[in-house]
Amino acid sequence: MPEPSTPREPRDLRLDFFRGVSLIFIFIDHVPQNFLSYFTLQAVAFYDAAEVFIFISGFTAALVYGRRLASKGALYASAQVLRRAWQLYVAHIFLFVLFVAEVSYTAIAFKNPMYNDEMRVADFLDEPHIAVIKALMLEFQPTFLDILPLYIVMLLIFPAILLGMQRHWLLVLVASATLYVVVQVFDISVPAYPEGHVWYFNPLAWQFLFVAGAVLGNRAAHGASFASLLRWAYPVALAVFAATLVVKTSWTIHGLYESFPAWFLKALWPVNKNNLSPLRLIPFFALVLLVATHVPRDARFLGSMAARPLVLCGQQSLEIFCLGILLSALGHFILSEYTSAIAMQLVVNVAGIAVMCLTAKMIDWYKAMDRMPILQPAAPRSGDGVQR
Amino acid sequence: MKRAAKQRLPLLILAGTVALALAAPASSRAAPRDCEVPPELLAISVKLPHLAERLHAKQPVNIVAIGGASTKGAAAGAPDLAYPHRLQVALAAFYPEVPINVVNKGVPRQSTQQMVQRFPTDVIAEDPILVVWEAGISDAVRGVEIDDFAAALQAGLDEMKNRAIDILLVDMQFSRRTSAVIDFEQYLNTIHRIGDVDEVYVFPRFAMMRYWSEQNMFNFDEVAEDERARLAAKVYDCIGKKLAEAIHTAVR
Repeated sequence: MPEPSTPREPRDLRLDFFRGVSLIFIFIDHVPQNFLSYFTLQAVAFYDAAEVFIFISGFTAALVYGRRLASKGALYASAQVLRRAWQLYVAHIFLFVLFVAEVSYTAIAFKNPMYNDEMRVADFLDEPHIAVIKALMLEFQPTFLDILPLYIVMLLIFPAILLGMQRHWLLVLVASATLYVVVQVFDISVPAYPEGHVWYFNPLAWQFLFVAGAVLGNRAAHGASFASLLRWAYPVALAVFAATLVVKTSWTIHGLYESFPAWFLKALWPVNKNNLSPLRLIPFFALVLLVATHVPRDARFLGSMAARPLVLCGQQSLEIFCLGILLSALGHFILSEYTSAIAMQLVVNVAGIAVMCLTAKMIDWYKAMDRMPILQPAAPRSGDGVQR
Repeated sequence: MKRAAKQRLPLLILAGTVALALAAPASSRAAPRDCEVPPELLAISVKLPHLAERLHAKQPVNIVAIGGASTKGAAAGAPDLAYPHRLQVALAAFYPEVPINVVNKGVPRQSTQQMVQRFPTDVIAEDPILVVWEAGISDAVRGVEIDDFAAALQAGLDEMKNRAIDILLVDMQFSRRTSAVIDFEQYLNTIHRIGDVDEVYVFPRFAMMRYWSEQNMFNFDEVAEDERARLAAKVYDCIGKKLAEAIHTAVR
């Protein structure tokens, strides 16, 4: 069923902006015991920036690669997706090497006998020949190396999602939702290394969020109107959003001031993240609906100077995502090696966010230069005029 | 019962860092007293009713300390130097007329789940009135799934509650080096959250040791190799003393 190719619309800055915000939040949340994490999504919601990132990534992937599919064919679009997956894979291996360096350094420089017994367990250097291979196979996911494997797997399956959606979007959505439900009902997890470990972000569960984003992106690209859906679901979404906001915020405040009651804590906690508990997923969809209703595509603030760095981060998401993980690992190291006083936490956060934004700006500039046609050297002097 | 031990970890860390920020200029001039911690770290709002009853009746008290390598305390060189024995000594000073015995059931490299499996032989069989349960290090090191960790803790706490045995939890050890390679945070949050939900006191060992580390007390990098065991013994002694103070408050 050939779909009519839609004329290219101006970029939806909302996607870039919110993805940029989620990247900053992911960085902040990954610096351990960071007081700024009280100001990120996870403090007031059952979901966190990871959901935002994966959902928007699915949505944009459907837009971008959908266009490629329409104009240049399935093979080319698939090759492009796989090239992105490869870039992420290389980034993952790079992070793994950093992790090995950190552990090796710690194992040698460690002088505290109080941790001898435990450190020996952590010491994967006992069998590096296996650990390295498991890392190459994405099965070894120590500390901060757990998100990239999910993203890589999502991109690997994306060509199939893309081609499936070309047949019919319901086909893909139903298959994906079925898998998600099966994982929830039978509590299935994906084994990792060493023995007994599981994938922190279970790809069998999290794929649903990515696919849901992709299907919505696909529908949006084909001009589907969600107006009636937004209208009837709005009250439900608002209620879910408000209820979960109040409950989770009460938990956070309760963590700070114990006299403040934590509503439904005993009934609801813990909220499973590995398998993307419905308690995370449903309020997240409510959030998506509210944002889609209240933040119009042409919202003024999206074009403002203040939003610009976040939009840029969102546009260069692959690079900034990897950079953010790297920076949070570095921040972790600095805070534990020196001091974790609040002033230092602030410095680490501000410096990290600044580096992310500046890097995004640099990549944006570089890509713009790259796209610029090479000028004919006809009039070399007038071309780079000093006068304005 | 009053609202009890809340998930206090973030607050403790915040308090610790604020205290550090305030104390930093002074600490260079005057070394802090041994074992000193900010008072917030010793705030305790739960009661240990069964233990309190025994102590007030001056009946013999049997306590089991179950945990991992840091409970066994091999790093200090002798069983008498591990924190459970230091706790016994410190408690005896508070209650000289009560016979108090703390049994050490530390087994290195055990997950929380494995400890729970030891409960029938190592805890119940000892007939304790209070259990000090040190958990979470091995789980964090091995990266045990967080829900499994929570479930194991919950199972252990439920069993003690059903048997009318008082229990308190001890969280992880802190060391600057290990915290760079082991991700303790979510396990710490979980153990404090469980304590909160179940109204069980969680002794904030991690926050205390972190405070000491930031005060540059017990710096293992600056001592000769044969001095390290002595330093470990000092840390265990402080842990035992602070634990005794917390228990003393909880039975008042």
